[in-house]
Amino acid sequence: MRYAGIGASPANVQFPEPLMNFEGQLMTRATPPKHNPGLFKRNPPIAGEAEAIEAAKNGDAEAFSKLYTLHKRRVYTLCLRMLGNVSEAEDMTQEAFLHLFRKLGSFRGESAFSTWLHRLTVNLVLMHLRKKGLNLVSLEETINPSEEDSPRRDFGSRDPVLAGSVDRVSLERAVALLPPGYRMVFVLHDVEGFEHNEIATMLDCSTGNSKSQLHKARLRLRELLRQSGQPQPGQSAEAVQ
Amino acid sequence: MTLPRKINFDTLKPEEFEHLLPDLFATGDGKVSQDPRLKKFLAQHPDCAALVSDLEAIAEHARSLFEPVGDPSDKVWTNIQSKLREEAAHSANGESTEEDPDEDPEN
Repeated sequence: MRYAGIGASPANVQFPEPLMNFEGQLMTRATPPKHNPGLFKRNPPIAGEAEAIEAAKNGDAEAFSKLYTLHKRRVYTLCLRMLGNVSEAEDMTQEAFLHLFRKLGSFRGESAFSTWLHRLTVNLVLMHLRKKGLNLVSLEETINPSEEDSPRRDFGSRDPVLAGSVDRVSLERAVALLPPGYRMVFVLHDVEGFEHNEIATMLDCSTGNSKSQLHKARLRLRELLRQSGQPQPGQSAEAVQ
Repeated sequence: MTLPRKINFDTLKPEEFEHLLPDLFATGDGKVSQDPRLKKFLAQHPDCAALVSDLEAIAEHARSLFEPVGDPSDKVWTNIQSKLREEAAHSANGESTEEDPDEDPEN
């Protein structure tokens, strides 16, 4: 089966990376893209992927289906982490692959395909949030958090360190509780491995702002993880242990 | 926000350290606890050392969240296929296809 769409799509517009600013406007890099070695390391080429990409570019529906199978989990996970909502994450996964289908012709292999696809997905999610309007609140929270929203400063406390008690499940729960703006920067940097300058471009803020908000996100996570490790009302300390 | 050129790590106060932390984490490999310039300071300020240790643990464990949590439901692929068929039919009829998400619909 062949889809007519790829050849007929406006994918002939050349852009090295699917990089959009926060207004959803397409941006092209003035200089060659700096490859993030971390992302390449975490996104090694997948057997058969290159062939599937080329075939899908030519409208091969089976090849596109293969690309979906190879990447659906990662794309969905990324959407879920950024949005914190299953239904929205599925909608954005759908949009990401539709967008991929239309833009696949512009993929030139200058970065790992999965890196390119992740960036495309991040841009779509950011655009979606912007259009929704809700994000304006959450991103304001990221860029200009109020004092009440900022994590507590607790150098004076003598709580035991978390180091030995952080695990994937507890961290996942805590990340889901982060305000959307903090969660966005944390997921982009610490989970997805984007650099601060890349995040700054995507969120249309300064690099310093990205660093600062990441720090605040981690501080908030520390608080949340500590709270989750404390006995809940009506629960004995032994029960928690 | 970048690290000031001259920082006297020997006379650093916890408040100043807190202010510098985002940049300290952003430079190098993010292992603030291993920074030789901070060895003495962290030894003298166990609360700051505990904070650094916690934040490093959080950043370290964040990498594990990169791994996928699960599959989207089957309806996602069904919807994609249906949309693509629709677009292909429109395209064959010479009609304009789906809106391009790169375009700002507000314009």
